[in-house]
Amino acid sequence: MSDNESDDDVRTDGSGSGIVAPDDETPSWSERKQRTQGLSRLTYEYFERGRREDQDLRQQSDYVERDVLAFPAWPHEMMRNLALTSFFVGMILFVAAALPPEMPNPANSGVTPAIILPDWYLYWSFGLLKLGPLNPDLAILGGQKIMADRTYGVLANVVVVGFVAIVPFLNKGSARRPVEQPFWAAVGMSGVVFSLTIAALSIKNLIPMDSHLLFDLTFLVPIVSATITYAVLKTMREGYMFTLNRRYYRLRPPK
Amino acid sequence: MSLERKDDHDHKGWMKSRELSPLETIYLTTLIWLDKRLRVVDYLEILEDLYYKVNMQMPKSHTEQYNLDNKFWYWYPLYALGSFSTIAYIVAAISGALLGFYYAPAAAAADGSATVAYDSVLLIMGQLNLGYFLRSVHRWAAQIMVAAVFLHMLRVYFTGAYKEPRELNWLIGIILISLTLVFGYTGYLLPWSQLSYWAGQIGVEMSLSIPLIGEWVAQLMFGGFTLSQATLQRMYILHVFFLPFITTAVIALHIGIVWMQGIAEPH
Ligand code: HEM
Repeated sequence: MSDNESDDDVRTDGSGSGIVAPDDETPSWSERKQRTQGLSRLTYEYFERGRREDQDLRQQSDYVERDVLAFPAWPHEMMRNLALTSFFVGMILFVAAALPPEMPNPANSGVTPAIILPDWYLYWSFGLLKLGPLNPDLAILGGQKIMADRTYGVLANVVVVGFVAIVPFLNKGSARRPVEQPFWAAVGMSGVVFSLTIAALSIKNLIPMDSHLLFDLTFLVPIVSATITYAVLKTMREGYMFTLNRRYYRLRPPK
Repeated sequence: MSLERKDDHDHKGWMKSRELSPLETIYLTTLIWLDKRLRVVDYLEILEDLYYKVNMQMPKSHTEQYNLDNKFWYWYPLYALGSFSTIAYIVAAISGALLGFYYAPAAAAADGSATVAYDSVLLIMGQLNLGYFLRSVHRWAAQIMVAAVFLHMLRVYFTGAYKEPRELNWLIGIILISLTLVFGYTGYLLPWSQLSYWAGQIGVEMSLSIPLIGEWVAQLMFGGFTLSQATLQRMYILHVFFLPFITTAVIALHIGIVWMQGIAEPH
């Protein structure tokens, strides 16, 4: 800007006051608060507190400028991922060329196929629909079931997805590694194994095994694998792996 | 208004006074042209501000802090699974858009005769150059996306990456995996083959057995209690209109949050 120009001149070249208010013109949170009442006032009050808290934390911390603990998505992660992209897309094209899909007969409501199946990734959900035997019946209702088996199956889906959704609110704390939280790692393993066994249950007519045995195994195998996971992780925490990780654990002792 | 001020805005003269390469000239001319009309510079300023906020405030990681940066985190390869889901999604979107040029969701009879929908898939597979490959790519991209999403969820679970402050992203993830599965399901019905038809049959029965709102859901999603043209058309619109928009937006939100929060440290 030329220097013979007065400051109150309206500038339109994007220097000076464009649409971004310069710092000294931006009202502070408390100035904004003055003009408001009710909920918006509360909001501003909170903001001011939040700011102050951030500021305090920043001053206390020995980090310079930075206060979140994580590694940056950009550029570390993104670069790595972009490099993997072409490889991955190549893999999709290769598999697609090698294993083209089939085309079954046209839809026919008169002919029920021997096995009705969704795509493999819905087997678990399909399996949950077959939990009829677990549907409790009430003696008061004369052995009648409270709800139809299929309602029960749909409900089972809701329960499973719901449980997965609330995991972050059940398992809190700063532990991250499975060794640090053997219990939740065991829960996870049982979940993974259950998703496989329940998928197997959904295609029970394809599996050469007594269907009652399969039904029992569907629930037993996950429990067994959870137990094994728990035991193994507990051992790792005290034994060989612990020595290996000693340097790490000196810095962050397991709780 | 002074003369000097006019000079200040004489962009052409300014460009002449610099010795610019043709590329730079074209770039600047375009930029100035756009800026005169759209005030691009103001927005660039905001973007720049944002860029520095995002990038300069990057968190210091544990690896940096504890000087562990030469230690290999052996689960690290699994951290690519989220990106793999995104990539598979993009591949499926592109191949799907191409398939959409030839597919027609019509005449959904169920008497064992080939319908328009079925025939259009056959046409893609038999007549179209590279059509069979295209369909194969779309299918595999979809399958691989589901697998990648599921494995991504497991990696997030077993590295405890869902904990504070990332609970919200976990919930968004649950929405994403559901959307992915519904995507797969609606696509499965489109060829209107035997498999499609009977999978649709299960879908209707599942909706009907939802307490209280079952019939309403069946009407809404499947266009009735038996499978018909209405079912196919709804699946089609879900698959090529609603789901793509919703899923893309939610993925953008999901990754945006990851960008802001950073990847959880494997402590
Ligand atoms: C369409 C599906 C999905 C896409 C495209 C996607 C994409 C991504 C990407 C690119 C990341 C960055 C880190 C990484 O790649 O591992 C990420 C992180 C994350 N995702 Fe997903 N995701 C999807 C589904 C899910 C699901 C099903 C969940 C869990 C229920 C989930 C929960 C999370 C969480 C909590 C993070 C943060 C992890 C961290 O900071 O280490 N996402 N997602």
